[in-house]
Amino acid sequence: MPSLKDIKTQINSVVSTKKITTAMKMVAASKLRRSQEKAVAARPYSSRLEEMLSSLASSAASGEGIIKLLTGTGNDQNYMIVPVSADRGLCGGFNSSINRETFKLVKSLEKDGKNVQLMPVGKKSRDFFNRVMKDQISESFIDLNVSNSGYDSALQVSNKLQDLYFNGKFDKCILVFNKFISAITQDVTQQQLIPLDVSESSKEVKEDSNDAKAIYDYEPDEETILKDLLPKNVSIQIFKVLLESDAGEHGARMAAMDNATRNAGEMIDGLTLKYNRTRQAFITKELIEIISGAESI
Amino acid sequence: MATISFDLVSPENLIFNDEAGMIIVPGKDGDFGVLPGHSKVMSSLRPGRVMVYGEDKNLLKAFFVSGGFAEVNPEKCIILAESVNEINTLEKSVIEKEIQDLDSEENDIAKEQLSIARAKLNALESNFYEKI
Repeated sequence: MPSLKDIKTQINSVVSTKKITTAMKMVAASKLRRSQEKAVAARPYSSRLEEMLSSLASSAASGEGIIKLLTGTGNDQNYMIVPVSADRGLCGGFNSSINRETFKLVKSLEKDGKNVQLMPVGKKSRDFFNRVMKDQISESFIDLNVSNSGYDSALQVSNKLQDLYFNGKFDKCILVFNKFISAITQDVTQQQLIPLDVSESSKEVKEDSNDAKAIYDYEPDEETILKDLLPKNVSIQIFKVLLESDAGEHGARMAAMDNATRNAGEMIDGLTLKYNRTRQAFITKELIEIISGAESI
Repeated sequence: MATISFDLVSPENLIFNDEAGMIIVPGKDGDFGVLPGHSKVMSSLRPGRVMVYGEDKNLLKAFFVSGGFAEVNPEKCIILAESVNEINTLEKSVIEKEIQDLDSEENDIAKEQLSIARAKLNALESNFYEKI
């Protein structure tokens, strides 16, 4: 049977854990608000860029150079998977669900005989894949800190990706990230980044954009614009994904810490009850000893 | 008089979203003015000034953009810019220092930044289009 002191120490440690989780929840909540605002603010740009691209994309035939971002290399043998996780833990299943999904994706691609490379973003996925498939990691990015350094952090990733792509290191690039749905829900999503998947984003616009395209004037000309637009689109998509993942991380952490706080509360209640019962038992025992001692005299 | 709706968007946020009487856009092949009812144009931009005028041609706002794209149709003008500064928030001394720092570097990125910084300085000093 534990002594009173043992229980007291245990209660104290749970109380201080609860304090920490409460504080972390508050911090996550305020960070969530900020990064959510950023994610919302970045939306107009990416949606308009998509509109522009979809009206241009239909006009592009196959070609060399930058156009390849749109049309692809013509192969699909080499894959580049970019899992986007957080740099820190303590956010529930946020990181592990990304790692699990990526792992599954890699395995199923390998089963089909494809070569797969990885480019993890975020400490948690880098560490995970460093353990399980180290030789397939071609590059990794940590401490990007998208909510402070903004667009530049996305540029780093995007430049590296395009560098590898134009050197023929891979044919297809897929992002795996947590899509921010609400503060408590994040959805693990796969998005094909290279070659650009226009069919999905522009299904509805396509009909009217076809005749709209006919009367657009291009300055300097269609190809030059497309050449500028495509790399930018890659960066913007990455930027959007980083922001979503950032907001999702804080949301997940908030939910996880909320749960932890509640559990700690329950634990404290249970322990306090146990403490009181034990104390009562000791008192009763002592009383019995005194009384029986007095009786025997 | 009619107005045209104008959006100025940077990757980080929506900077300007309102009706305007006229906009002057620094297109790659030269500046062009956009009035309501402009024909459809898609253009990439060079570093320069975006000037926004009200209905009676008074200057509402002046921005510096470091590049990007513009899409114009008769009702709407959208500029997707890489980075945007409002002209009157720019400071000459800061830009001059930036130019000095970049001048000594040799790589391509620094050169690009240098030309943007020079354009910024030009934009700050020129007073074209301020009254039309």
